[in-house]
Amino acid sequence: MKKSILLLQLWCCLALTAVAQQPLTGLVRSATDKAPLPGASVVLKGTTTGTTTGEDGTFSFTPSLQSSTLVISFLGFKTREVPFSLPSREPLVIELEEDDHTLQTVQVVSTGYQDIPRERATGSFSTVSSAELQQQAGPDILSRLEAVANGLTVDRNTFGGGGLLLRGLSTIQGPKAPLIVVDNFPYEGDIRNINPNDVASVTLLKDAAAASIWGTRAGNGVIVITTKSGSFRQPLSVDFHAGMILTPEPDLSYIKQMSAGDFIDVERMLFGKGYYNSTINSSGRRVISPAVEILLKERKGELTPEQAGAQLAALRQEDVRQAYRRHMYQQGLQQQYSIGLRAGSDRYAWHFSAGYDKATDNLDSHSSRINAHLRQTVRLLPRLDLNTSLYYTQRLQKSGRTGYGEGTSANAPLYPYTRFLDEEGNPVPGVRDLRQSWKEAIEDDRLLDWNYYPLEDYRHDHTRTDLQDVTGQIGLDYRLPFGLEATARYQYQRQHSQAEHLQDEQSYAARHLVNLYTSLDPVTGTLTYAIPPGGILNRQQQQLEAHNARGQLTYTKAWGPHDLTALVGGEVRQNRSSGSSRRLYGYDDQTLSFAQVDYRNRYPTYVNGSTAQIPNGDGLNERLSRFVSLFGNAAYTFRQRYTASASARQDGSNLFGVAANDRWNPLWSVGAGWDLSTEPFYKVGFLPYLKLRATYGFSGNADLSRTAVTTMLYSFMSYYTQNTLAVYDQYANPDLQWEKSRMLNFGADFRLKGNRLTGSVEYYQKKGTDLFGRKLLESTAGIGSTIIKNVATMEGRGIDVELNSINLEAGAFTWSTDLNASFARDEVTEYYLSNLNGSSFVNTVPTISAVVGHPVYAIYSYKWAGLDPQTGDPRGFLDGEPSTDYAALTGSDVQVDDLQFHGSALPQWFGSLGNTFRYGPLSLTARLTYKLGYYFRRRSINYNNLYRNGDGHADYAGRWQQPGDEAHTDVPSQVYPANSRRDAFYQGSAALVEPGDHVRLAYITCSYELVPDGTGQLPFRRLQGYATLQNLGILWKATSQDIDPDYNLGSYTMPPARSFALGLKAFF
Amino acid sequence: MTRSHISRSFLILCFLSLVAGCESFLDEKPDKQQVIPSTLRDFQALLDDFSQLNDNDPAAGEVSTDDYYLEDATWASLSETERLQYTWSRENFFTSPYNDWATSYTPVYTANTVLEGLTKVAMTPANQDDWRNVKGQAHFIRGKSFLQVAILWAPAYTKGNATGAWGIPLRLSTDFEEKSRRSNLQESFDQVLSDLQQAAKLLPPTQVHPVRPSKAAAYALLARTHLYMGNYPAVAAYADSALQLHSSLLDFNSLSAEADFPFSQPNEEIIYRSIIPVPNALYISNARIDPELYASYQPGDLRHKLFFKSNGDGTYGFKGSYEGNANLFSGISTAELYLMKAEALAGQGDAAGAMDALNTLLVTRWETGTFLPLEAANAAEALEIIRQDRRRELLMRGIRWLDIKRLNASGAAITMSRSLEGRTYTLPPNDPRYALPIPEDVIRLSGMPQNPR
Repeated sequence: MKKSILLLQLWCCLALTAVAQQPLTGLVRSATDKAPLPGASVVLKGTTTGTTTGEDGTFSFTPSLQSSTLVISFLGFKTREVPFSLPSREPLVIELEEDDHTLQTVQVVSTGYQDIPRERATGSFSTVSSAELQQQAGPDILSRLEAVANGLTVDRNTFGGGGLLLRGLSTIQGPKAPLIVVDNFPYEGDIRNINPNDVASVTLLKDAAAASIWGTRAGNGVIVITTKSGSFRQPLSVDFHAGMILTPEPDLSYIKQMSAGDFIDVERMLFGKGYYNSTINSSGRRVISPAVEILLKERKGELTPEQAGAQLAALRQEDVRQAYRRHMYQQGLQQQYSIGLRAGSDRYAWHFSAGYDKATDNLDSHSSRINAHLRQTVRLLPRLDLNTSLYYTQRLQKSGRTGYGEGTSANAPLYPYTRFLDEEGNPVPGVRDLRQSWKEAIEDDRLLDWNYYPLEDYRHDHTRTDLQDVTGQIGLDYRLPFGLEATARYQYQRQHSQAEHLQDEQSYAARHLVNLYTSLDPVTGTLTYAIPPGGILNRQQQQLEAHNARGQLTYTKAWGPHDLTALVGGEVRQNRSSGSSRRLYGYDDQTLSFAQVDYRNRYPTYVNGSTAQIPNGDGLNERLSRFVSLFGNAAYTFRQRYTASASARQDGSNLFGVAANDRWNPLWSVGAGWDLSTEPFYKVGFLPYLKLRATYGFSGNADLSRTAVTTMLYSFMSYYTQNTLAVYDQYANPDLQWEKSRMLNFGADFRLKGNRLTGSVEYYQKKGTDLFGRKLLESTAGIGSTIIKNVATMEGRGIDVELNSINLEAGAFTWSTDLNASFARDEVTEYYLSNLNGSSFVNTVPTISAVVGHPVYAIYSYKWAGLDPQTGDPRGFLDGEPSTDYAALTGSDVQVDDLQFHGSALPQWFGSLGNTFRYGPLSLTARLTYKLGYYFRRRSINYNNLYRNGDGHADYAGRWQQPGDEAHTDVPSQVYPANSRRDAFYQGSAALVEPGDHVRLAYITCSYELVPDGTGQLPFRRLQGYATLQNLGILWKATSQDIDPDYNLGSYTMPPARSFALGLKAFF
Repeated sequence: MTRSHISRSFLILCFLSLVAGCESFLDEKPDKQQVIPSTLRDFQALLDDFSQLNDNDPAAGEVSTDDYYLEDATWASLSETERLQYTWSRENFFTSPYNDWATSYTPVYTANTVLEGLTKVAMTPANQDDWRNVKGQAHFIRGKSFLQVAILWAPAYTKGNATGAWGIPLRLSTDFEEKSRRSNLQESFDQVLSDLQQAAKLLPPTQVHPVRPSKAAAYALLARTHLYMGNYPAVAAYADSALQLHSSLLDFNSLSAEADFPFSQPNEEIIYRSIIPVPNALYISNARIDPELYASYQPGDLRHKLFFKSNGDGTYGFKGSYEGNANLFSGISTAELYLMKAEALAGQGDAAGAMDALNTLLVTRWETGTFLPLEAANAAEALEIIRQDRRRELLMRGIRWLDIKRLNASGAAITMSRSLEGRTYTLPPNDPRYALPIPEDVIRLSGMPQNPR
């Protein structure tokens, strides 16, 4: 009761108060389509006093002078100067001409909680405009950011690579990805749902002051994506885009595959040594290769040496890459269509867009995406706006053919001489699971065909994934008196995906399982099927439901020389994801019939009667995460010159347990900005704008999978006891905390006279504490050899430079350049790593090395003493002398200090450089990206893997074979039996470490724009055609090897193929 | 009330209402499948994780025995660890982090989790059967694991050396930060016996499946432990107790010798089921059965056909795993009980009783109607006959290694030898190498003394 009285009083007070001041008001809109321009900068000429336009394009402020000139600027439009005098009777209506010739920085930055005029920001914000994003083609937004965003890099050099890193690493073992926010709330679905054509701008929040409003999720930075919206008082405008991207077949010759001839030579040698004998005799009918089958037939006398030789000679001519190129790969084609409509009356504004994307990739996998987006704003009351947004996505993906290396295993490797078709054009069975000659010798024709036909099988083995996502948002903005604004927002997101993997009855997988679980009664000769003949259907469903609710109160007040903006709010979020998987045997897609199988008992298998259970694919899962957060921030500006800001946030979640929630102190930040150029003493004529900024603060990083207590997961039902069994999930970690990241940032924004050069330079230092790190454990404890705890600290520092320049303006010709240059270095300062064994630091794929004083991911190697001139053995140094004592060279006496330290495994210098040339309606942009200051370890031959798994490498051809070879090769001689320590030494040696530095040409795009002359003959306002070449490859690299340092992780990794895009954009 | 007061109150109000609901809102667990193990059902679910508890017995002992040999080519094709193990190398052949040491201690953690958790679960009349069962299983698992570790990493047990020799680390709590310390051999075996006695007291006579240990399994393992320790009276008593609960034998005449794997599990002889995941060295087509051992099976002995598969070149591989596939059954069978009872009786001088127990077993192993009960003139002869048949019955089960150790400790003087690529390797009786090297990382992290090699 007391509460409601209080509220009532509050309402009354607010309603009665009126605004007494008479400010200068106006509307800024586009001259071409009359669309209001939200976020345009309105500044009193010669000062930085001013404001920015609101969402409806209007502005209102009280100038210090009664009459003067306003300077109105907005990204992509020509700057205008408009005189005014007060008092003015009518609001000013200012129309700006479009100007595509400059790509300036946006004047308003969005944190996802509020829009801040760049002039008053103290933190580190970096913006990517829609225009910059549109220079690239491609269906998803994140992949377009790498080439154009400042301080952002894509990690393709460490395990689990492919993720975005903002300003380098901030964590060692925790999640590394920045938080992605779409239209005010964290995006929980698949970010590929978002159509890049719907994106209005992307803001990167890089330092603590910018990001700490996001609290425990902001430790790795935040990427805020804002989608397009309509505005009030805007005539209908329509834009349309149609485009296509052609992707030629990938270059399979990039794969360092061993030649068929070399491979057969190795197999012949091993065969002679009896290496395959136990496999040949195995009752498990383990696979042997086609070449070994021939050799075996020769040994048994089934083939004469001449016949065997001829057959092997034929195999030597094969190259499986050719077979893949001919039969599997094709040119890929993507088509993109989108349309956007927007309009607004005095009280209603709307935006609607729809997109359709369709693609067929190099392996004939089909995918499509449909987007529909409706955003509306209704002015319910003069002070009350209702915003709604509905975003619908539907995606479909169907699998295609089999790519190189897909579906192979150590059990049956991809032999370099594998053929898909024989000379007569008949499909050749591939080697899989069981020995081919045994399969062929089965006389019982009641069994299903047991052959695997690589050329055909994909037709019977399909995966189809359907995904739907609906994100709805509703918000109320109420502008209260005294500069208060109350906002309430709620968002609901539901994403549902279903993956159906159907292996029909003709698929190899289904035939194999059915045959395998068929048993033959030796007495009666009858066959019993434990798995009934038919297809196998695996169906997986995953559903995600996210609720977000936020209440926020903003206070904005300007009085005299003072400006104050403050906001406080609270937020509740809940994410629930649940899924199920189901496998059906004996499935018939025509009738939807299926059969029951017995997962409980063991059945004899056809191969040798050994018993096994039928593989079971049923399961359920459900995860729930909840967050409650309180946040606030404030910025105070004095004389439009000095700004001070502060923010704080406290989070609680259901993930950490009570102790961690209680222990958690709010994350906070403070910042200051100083617009030096408005000081009376500032007299630097060539630099009319100079602003200095400094911030300091904390953000956090939460690994949502960790717990404070020992937990277990109920797993599947034990076939022995018919009781659901459980496995350990997390081991007790009572000291569990959230990782903290402290960042100090200094920045300077500047603008040269005539906007010739604008940009910013920032320097930052960060320190991560309580970072998750692996602590070594004795295996005697019974829970493995390591445990993850908050044990590490690291420091990072770096520089981000962002420059935009207009180099030349001569009549209709302009040449402009934009540069993003970053330096980021990290260093571990504390780590409980008692294992400093050298052998743990020379893995092929860089793992966290975490040596105090060195980068988190670093490349080390065994010192290399060349090959032994007599034997071709790789040599290291033992007590300063060349040695081949591999047990000692790779043993525990070699500590990390004894290794050669090359440097970081992640690029320390990276960025991009874009040049745009315009001549009238014609424009051309070319963009380079570069990564410098890092190392990688290339792959080479490993004899142990070659013999055991058939895992070869082209380097074999260049191995040491006779004395003297050591002068021109580092590839060790072949030995048998393989010495895995010798292999490990070579693999970890300095001989295989290469510098990663490289520069690549990301894209070249060319566009031509047609603007009607105003005679009304043409139905459109503007028409633009473009052509883009993407992924043009490496221009320069430091290594002499034929390796793309960014695409070296797996043995089958290939760089993306060059692609060619064409398209048309029309604006009505 | 001034305006600023009002707005402040309003704010505080908003915040309070938000925070009030938080506590219960944030109590919900993040993963439905994820639970903190705290109930009897949870503990049983952990104990039913057969992949950790039943499918992971160490192979190092069996790889080191003389029941089989490897051809040069096969040996050369094996991994370094197995090559070195096969030749009783003085090098430390265990690679970390996955090795027999780690897999032997994994079940100990589960046992300790359960035993610690049970201190917080009251035993009531309603739950006492389950409570006792779960606790008994935990003790059994811990005892079994410690026994396995002691057999591999500690020297053979004799009364004389027990307090002076290094035993094994006895992890009795879930505190995984605790540094291990080696107990002496006597302490190690005291712990094994105490765990197994607890288990025998608590466990029910039978379980739903022999992956869960029963009272009979606990008695049987006590008998095996005492056999290793050379304590025949206790062996006889425990084997007999187990047999009273479970004594059925498979009639080998009912099995098909043609089958690739004649046995299957569960079968009526299995008291407790666990396996050694077969290492390459012991794979059927790799491990050639010692010709002398193969030749010792008499005509009429069905094991000849049921246990062995011809490689077609006069050599034989082992196909007689009770698991019904290439993995090696390493649990407990009633056959082992009869053999232990027989040996214990003979060791105590009861030749007639001993032969009686042996004949009860053997009659099921021979073709129907062909078996003539064996006789022994005296206890020593009985002992000899029984030990020979023990080797014939229990090969490839991880038992030969403990037998060699215990027999050598009592003066049997068994020297194992291998020849490879023209070189001969031998392991003389009671060589320090009978205690395998503890993985290097464990030694480094714990500071425990390493076994001399």
